[in-house]
Amino acid sequence: METHNNIIKDKRLNLIQEQLIKFTQQDFSGSIPLSKNADEIDAIIAGLNTLGEEMNTTRLELEKKSLFIKDNQERINNIQEILLKYTLMDFSCQIPITEKADELDAIAVGLNTLSEELENHIKQVENANNELVTVNKELEAFSYSVSHDLRAPLRAISGYAKIILEDYQGKLDEDAIKLIHAIIRNTKRMGELIDDLLAFSRLGRKQVTSSEINMMALVKLVKEDLVTNDIENRTNFNCDNLLPAQGDFTLIKQVWVNLISNAIKYSQHKPSTIIEIGSYLKENQMVYYVKDNGAGFDMQYYDKLFGVFQRLHSNEEFEGTGIGLAIVQKIIHRHNGTVWAESKLKEGSSFYFTLPI
Amino acid sequence: MNYDAVEILFAEDSMDDAALTIRALKKNGLANNLYHVKDGAAALDFIYCKGEYATRSNKETPKLILLDLKMPKVSGFEVLEKVKSDPNFKLIPIVVLTSSKEDPDIKRCLELGVNSYIVKPVDTDNFFQAIKELGMYWIILNQTIH
Repeated sequence: METHNNIIKDKRLNLIQEQLIKFTQQDFSGSIPLSKNADEIDAIIAGLNTLGEEMNTTRLELEKKSLFIKDNQERINNIQEILLKYTLMDFSCQIPITEKADELDAIAVGLNTLSEELENHIKQVENANNELVTVNKELEAFSYSVSHDLRAPLRAISGYAKIILEDYQGKLDEDAIKLIHAIIRNTKRMGELIDDLLAFSRLGRKQVTSSEINMMALVKLVKEDLVTNDIENRTNFNCDNLLPAQGDFTLIKQVWVNLISNAIKYSQHKPSTIIEIGSYLKENQMVYYVKDNGAGFDMQYYDKLFGVFQRLHSNEEFEGTGIGLAIVQKIIHRHNGTVWAESKLKEGSSFYFTLPI
Repeated sequence: MNYDAVEILFAEDSMDDAALTIRALKKNGLANNLYHVKDGAAALDFIYCKGEYATRSNKETPKLILLDLKMPKVSGFEVLEKVKSDPNFKLIPIVVLTSSKEDPDIKRCLELGVNSYIVKPVDTDNFFQAIKELGMYWIILNQTIH
């Protein structure tokens, strides 16, 4: 009881009360002196003093910061405005650096460097894009010119040669007539080469779309278009259940047309042949193949097989311009797939292509 | 030259193409009065009775225009566009001559209102096929040649 009374009478309690009131008024200045008692109350006072000091420091820092913000409001607004421009891809302004070399300047230097890098990067992408657009336009103009200007003299050569045949047949001997037919035949072939070249160059620019393809139905469709009664009679078509795939229907159809018509063409000198069409799944890829037991080719020249206008057989032996497999390769590459072939001369060839799942 | 009797206006800048086309048509019995101009500007002058053709009566219009697309001065496209957007002339059937059936020009011509197209070289087969499709039975074949 006595102790309790002593505590109540202790002046230090009044001091603590006063200090707490000051705290509620956001005044953290001053501290309460400790007594020699070093008792519980002193411990409380010490705690209170530390709290007051911390609060004071924090408040001073906050004041300093808000003062800094207040003093530099214009600079901060300016940075915000410029940042907004950056988000709109407008890099015409840089954040000004002051002589103060303070925190804001450090941030400004960092942002300026970043925006410069970003601007350079965007410029590079834009330049590359512009170059692509120019190259594409040039290619289009080139194809157009090839298509129109190369054909015109060809029409004239062929046309006049035909007139000679029509109007002067009686005055020409057999050799001369043969030669004129050779001229006409060659103009026709050049016409085909021009058509193939144009088809190939168009491929590179065509947008590749993707949809689910029922390969079984597609191959059936292609086969019906290509196979005549005569071919049907001497060819045994083995077509397994083909797996469906994702791809551009028109382009993949072209791949099948080229591969199957090749298989038919290079088997034409054999009295009876087997053409096998199949598919399997390997490492997340659909693999499709067309195998024939036709003329085959020498694997020594494999690197020329898929080249534009490259041929491994003479035109007399097997007609063609050498564009078919180049088109196959281009289409499959544009689908991120691969093509390859295996062959043994006079025994047949197998052509494979993959489509990613 | 009596321009008013012209039934087919033929615009073609290549003299070889023009000679071969005219020969093929005449040789196979086309008996209509065909008039050849060498560029799109002359074709428009003819149609609109201007320049060299200022004295031509504007009461008579060609019954058919055969139009090459790639011509100097005024292209076939421009002739096509002008004629097909003119209420006085838009009913004249226009057949364009193109280098390839894959030509992107064909799509543009169809958009401009072309009536038909023929892939060069123009021979009687593809010419009369186009004419037949247009229902132009008045095109006369000179039967005596056959």
